[in-house]
Amino acid sequence: MTLAVHLYRRIMRRGRLIGLIALSSVPALAFWLSAYDSAPDEATLLYSDILARLGFSYAIAVLILTVAILREERDAGTLPYIYMRPIGREAMAASSIAAGVAAALTLALAAWLVSVLAVLAVGAPADTSLTGLTQYLAAGIGYAAVFVPLGYLVPRSILVGLGYIIVVESILAEVVTGLAQISIWRIALSISADIGANENPGEMLGAITPGTGGGIAKLAVILVLGFGALTWALRRRDAL
Amino acid sequence: MTDTIVVDELSKWFGPKVAVSEVTIGFGPGVTGLLGPNGAGKTTLMRVIAGLQKPSQGAVSILGQDPRAHPAIYQKVALVPEDEAVYERLTARRFVELAARLAKVDDPRGRAQRTLETVDLTGPADRRLGGFSKGMRQRAKVAAALVSDPDVLLLDEPLNGADPVQRAHLISLFKELGSAGRTLVVSSHVLAEVERMTERVVAMVDGRLAAVGSVADIRSAMTDRPRLVFVESTDNRRLAAELMTTEGVIGIHIEPGRLRVEASDAGDLAKRLPGIAIGAGVGVSRVEPADESLESVFRYLVEGGE
Repeated sequence: MTLAVHLYRRIMRRGRLIGLIALSSVPALAFWLSAYDSAPDEATLLYSDILARLGFSYAIAVLILTVAILREERDAGTLPYIYMRPIGREAMAASSIAAGVAAALTLALAAWLVSVLAVLAVGAPADTSLTGLTQYLAAGIGYAAVFVPLGYLVPRSILVGLGYIIVVESILAEVVTGLAQISIWRIALSISADIGANENPGEMLGAITPGTGGGIAKLAVILVLGFGALTWALRRRDAL
Repeated sequence: MTDTIVVDELSKWFGPKVAVSEVTIGFGPGVTGLLGPNGAGKTTLMRVIAGLQKPSQGAVSILGQDPRAHPAIYQKVALVPEDEAVYERLTARRFVELAARLAKVDDPRGRAQRTLETVDLTGPADRRLGGFSKGMRQRAKVAAALVSDPDVLLLDEPLNGADPVQRAHLISLFKELGSAGRTLVVSSHVLAEVERMTERVVAMVDGRLAAVGSVADIRSAMTDRPRLVFVESTDNRRLAAELMTTEGVIGIHIEPGRLRVEASDAGDLAKRLPGIAIGAGVGVSRVEPADESLESVFRYLVEGGE
């Protein structure tokens, strides 16, 4: 717990957080500009559609934030202060991912609050923005589980992560059904659509059937894989 | 005495670069100085011993366990890393408390306070580390390492940036810890500091062990190097002429006010010198070994390794 709190606090710097909340709020801004003169029903549909298309800005913000969890410790030379403590490598991996998930969820709440303001500004029904909350929370968990280990394992992790988001999640998953099934953004979208927060998942969901259980199971698998990869790396790779 | 740290046939390489090559050594209780010029492999050896880096070959054990496989050993092992890196936004107190909490010690707050007192850092303890001088950061790092009361302490250039008063305080602290039966390995390239801390040194050159033992033992073992002795007398030229024919004297240099004598055995020369001086009618005022300091020994080791 001490380690998770330390790692969380370390990456949540005010300047960085403001920048990343701004990046995560791109869909809210786009919605406000597009739905300014729309009828309430039309605005609700527009919100879901914009979120599904532009919500990757949140994924990029989570990437920038969560790859820093262990990478920043290593780059700054402070990793020995946490690595050389009587903490099992599993516990260290779990704490790191927990800190990443907490950071992603903090960003999700902030981005959602901005979208609530946008929804209220255009006069759409207040529950419209629930889509965003569910979507961001589910996606945040999945992305943190992938990006925290990525930050520790790969030197140019932001570049690699951007490649993953742009090429795999937004281009390839659009055309390859198999990839769509494991695309974190679409998993989050399917959960959001199933619980009814998003009644208009749009074309992005494609052949994927909305399902909360399936979505949560996929997120759990991603979490386990991320945890396993990070534990392996902490045990086997040089810490410096 | 049983070695607390055992390094067995250890090699570490990064791609084609060999940083540490086939090092076998043990470190027991007390202070051991780890010496070597920059790039000798001291920091890499420290990091591998600490478990931060995996050996490419060979093995390391601390208190009988491989630190990489048994993180619980870090309850008894601590490192003061060479880098200046600290958590800039934390105060010294928070930094040491964090170390205590991560080490799962009882009463982390009280323990942090006591350790800050030990390194004489209570005054600025509530200031952020980002505003600390290099010497103060070093003391904060030492406090973070000591807070868990470790049996084994690895210190990589711990006196870097410390002012003379702080240095004296830290040296005395390390000697005290060593005397109390803890194992301290202190790497440094400042030989005078190591000399003040310990007699036992481990010298590394080009990733290999160059010598292990006390400075005097290492010097004695260098039979291929003549011993240098400075001699001051009432008539240096006459004494030089007499010494030229003396067995065991390899060379003589007349320097302003003294002779620099190269002998195969300094002890033998010291015994025979009074007789030679009396025979030559010369009074000897001073005889001083010139190359038995750690610095001279170390210079020979480095030159020998090149």
